[in-house]
Amino acid sequence: MTVALVVGALLAVACVVLVALPFIREPSVRDDRLARPDELEQRRLALAEERDRALAALKELEFDHRTGKVSDDDYRELVGPLRAQAAEALRALDLRAEHTADVRVPTRG
Amino acid sequence: MVALSVAAVLAVFLLYTSIAGGGTPTLRPSQLPGHDGRVSLVGMVVGAPRGDAHAGGLHFRLRDREGTATVPVVYTGSVPDLFRQDREVVVDGKLRNGVFVAVPNTLVTKCPSKYTPKKSA
Amino acid sequence: MPDLGRAALVTSFLLLVYALVAGSFAAWRGRRRLAESAQNALIGAFGATVVAAAVLLAALARHDFSFQYVAEHTSRELSLGYSLTAFWGGQEGSLLLWLLVLGGYSVAAVLTGRRVGRDVLAWVVPVLGLVGTFFAFMLVFVSSPFATQHAPADGAGLTPSLQNPYMAIHPPMLYLGYVGLTIPFAFAMGALLSRRTDERWIVVTRRWTLAAWAFLGIGQLLGAHWAYVEIGWGGYYAWDPVENAALMPWVAATAFLHSVMIQEKRGMLRVWNMVLVVLAFCLSIFGTFLTRSGVIQSIHSFSQSPLGGWFLGFICLITAGSLGLVLLRLPLLRTKTRLESLVSREATFLYNNLLLVALALTILWGVVYPILSEAVTGEAASVSKPYYNFFLHSFGLPLLLLMGIGPLVAWRRASLRALGRTFLWPLGAALAAGIVLLALGAGSSRVGVIAYTFSVFVLASIVLEFARGTSARKALGGIGWLAAFSSLVARNRRRYGGYVVHASIVLLAIGVAGSSAYQTEREARLKPGESMTVAGNRLVFRGFETRMESNHRAIRGQVDVYRGDKYLGRYRPGKNEYFAEDQISNEVSIRHDPLTGGDLFLIADQVNTDGSIDLKALQKPLVNLIWLAGLVFVGGALIALWPDAREERRLAERYAGAPVRI
Repeated sequence: MTVALVVGALLAVACVVLVALPFIREPSVRDDRLARPDELEQRRLALAEERDRALAALKELEFDHRTGKVSDDDYRELVGPLRAQAAEALRALDLRAEHTADVRVPTRG
Repeated sequence: MVALSVAAVLAVFLLYTSIAGGGTPTLRPSQLPGHDGRVSLVGMVVGAPRGDAHAGGLHFRLRDREGTATVPVVYTGSVPDLFRQDREVVVDGKLRNGVFVAVPNTLVTKCPSKYTPKKSA
Repeated sequence: MPDLGRAALVTSFLLLVYALVAGSFAAWRGRRRLAESAQNALIGAFGATVVAAAVLLAALARHDFSFQYVAEHTSRELSLGYSLTAFWGGQEGSLLLWLLVLGGYSVAAVLTGRRVGRDVLAWVVPVLGLVGTFFAFMLVFVSSPFATQHAPADGAGLTPSLQNPYMAIHPPMLYLGYVGLTIPFAFAMGALLSRRTDERWIVVTRRWTLAAWAFLGIGQLLGAHWAYVEIGWGGYYAWDPVENAALMPWVAATAFLHSVMIQEKRGMLRVWNMVLVVLAFCLSIFGTFLTRSGVIQSIHSFSQSPLGGWFLGFICLITAGSLGLVLLRLPLLRTKTRLESLVSREATFLYNNLLLVALALTILWGVVYPILSEAVTGEAASVSKPYYNFFLHSFGLPLLLLMGIGPLVAWRRASLRALGRTFLWPLGAALAAGIVLLALGAGSSRVGVIAYTFSVFVLASIVLEFARGTSARKALGGIGWLAAFSSLVARNRRRYGGYVVHASIVLLAIGVAGSSAYQTEREARLKPGESMTVAGNRLVFRGFETRMESNHRAIRGQVDVYRGDKYLGRYRPGKNEYFAEDQISNEVSIRHDPLTGGDLFLIADQVNTDGSIDLKALQKPLVNLIWLAGLVFVGGALIALWPDAREERRLAERYAGAPVRI
């Protein structure tokens, strides 16, 4: 019975501590804001995903062509636009990176 | 395009249900009179079963879980191990001349629930 | 001790409510410390649940019958192993298991899923909290495992047919599956609530979804195997509502697994994926509800319990809430990308999805139809095998075919000429197989032949994929075959692991087709010395042997099996009569044919007082492929799940620029 009481008490204490921990660690803090990616950051993420998608699609096209799933004609047709897409995405990202390097305010995560 | 496929699937579905009909009714003994076609009968086995399901037929009576209406059943085929007096069972068949003639091998017992308190034997 | 258990559950409940309420507030207002605090509450809740589980386990281990639950599901003579696994033998324990697994998953997912972004995570926590709160609420207020009583001398014991290793492990496997689907759901809702438009949540939850789906599949296979060997009616799946309860979410999750690949590759189907993940999750909760509430008459009819109403309410809340959220965020989810061609890999994935969802919905309809018809007409109508088989064939066979077509088709657009070339070998193989099969007499079942030929097609296309890929890789790097093969698989684990999983499904299809479409069944009453023949096997009955065991009497019919002149062995189908429980269990005898993968399945239907036996014998071709498929499935899933360092680096870099740092 006492084992139960001890375990129970320990559990209760541990839980209270866990929940209060963030407040104990930083009793007063300048910036309690939950970092949210702003408009700029969302755009950058979307571009990064687009870039990765375009690059992956190119890689797959190459591979599909090599394994014969895509004919030479189809390959010629598709590779152009895909390369352009990838280049576009890469360029947009670089521009974004240049632009935001000046603009971004360091926010504590 | 998605809408088209959904429509096609629905069409297949409706076609089937209209041909096959909407499932067999599951009835209790009290609901049986008046139904002539094949039904699933669900009820509790009352009285001791007699006969042999593999030779001549197993005879027993089924009663509503809550009620008094009973109906005699004659069954041939495999008998589940859990089948016994006071068990709830389901069996397919047709009512003929006051006796429920079962379709062979359709007798199923409900598992005595392992999730309810067992009645102490 | 029970007080500790109760207290631990109350603690867990309070912490989960806190995670829900404080977490929502923190996410809404953007309060960092509060969000962290809510996250910690989830961890604390898990800890408290572990304590509660430990209390119950301890009580089970020492057969403490003052715990009502222990008395109901164990007895003094029950071995330690089965006493412990009785943890999930009943309703209250199952709920506790659900909460425990949910807690474990939540903590693991939240701690490892930080890459998804603090703002999304801040919403994931309250969603997990919501689900956890429901189960904790049930455990504290409605269905507690810690009810006490005056301890009886002995417990009620476990039904003998459930004292089986497969049955022991089947529930936890299923739960690891069911509960696991909560994770992608929570992250999806988190992404919507935080107005994110990127695909992070998919990337982060990918492995969780795959693992949950794999566990759910394995759990069902284990259940089917138990039904086959233990219940022994000769089958492995009866379309019982409780079985369907696990199949439906699995089918929906299969659709989801495929369509997220499209979203990742092409950015399409975002709304569809949201709806799918909600569907999969709701079906898994519905499945739990079906199995526990007794609302649907099944041969596993659990008595009506108060649980039913609560579950139904929770499902409605979740469905309405999440679909409402999807509707609200619709503008965010819309994309410009359109399907370029009806003959492309995207299109085959779409067809696959449509078929799978249609299958899940028809099963759902079959499950709820009896209740609905009773509510409307006053008469329950039962839905049985013909209904399910019709739709399984209508949707399943095209799905089988698609598994072979999909990998052979290119993305975006595939020209018919290219298709013709890639299809040549698999098509040829399938046609050849078809001709051979028809010559061998497989034409007796049209569905069977179709299933077999489609299977050959798919297997051929998978082999071809591996072969072509390996040779392409070899040509690239100038390395040997083996190195090329392992490099190919290692560089694209998801794809090739997926192909292995497809192969396992094909094996499953072949096994199912063989054992159902081409089964032979014979029944006869035999006196000692008499024989019967089934599929070329002569069965001679030699009489009964009875054996007394500690808790049961074993009656076994001695059956000698011959094939022509060759003696294949003695098999002993029979029955066990259990004294304490006053029950009889069916003990079938199975002969596995190592060469053909088929089974000779012997059932002692009836033991007669005159010493004769009513013997039922089934010859089930290829049935063991089903169990083999399970092993291949696990292998494929492991390959697909295996962490990929290169991919991790790529993803880390992609998301690195974000100021959300941990």
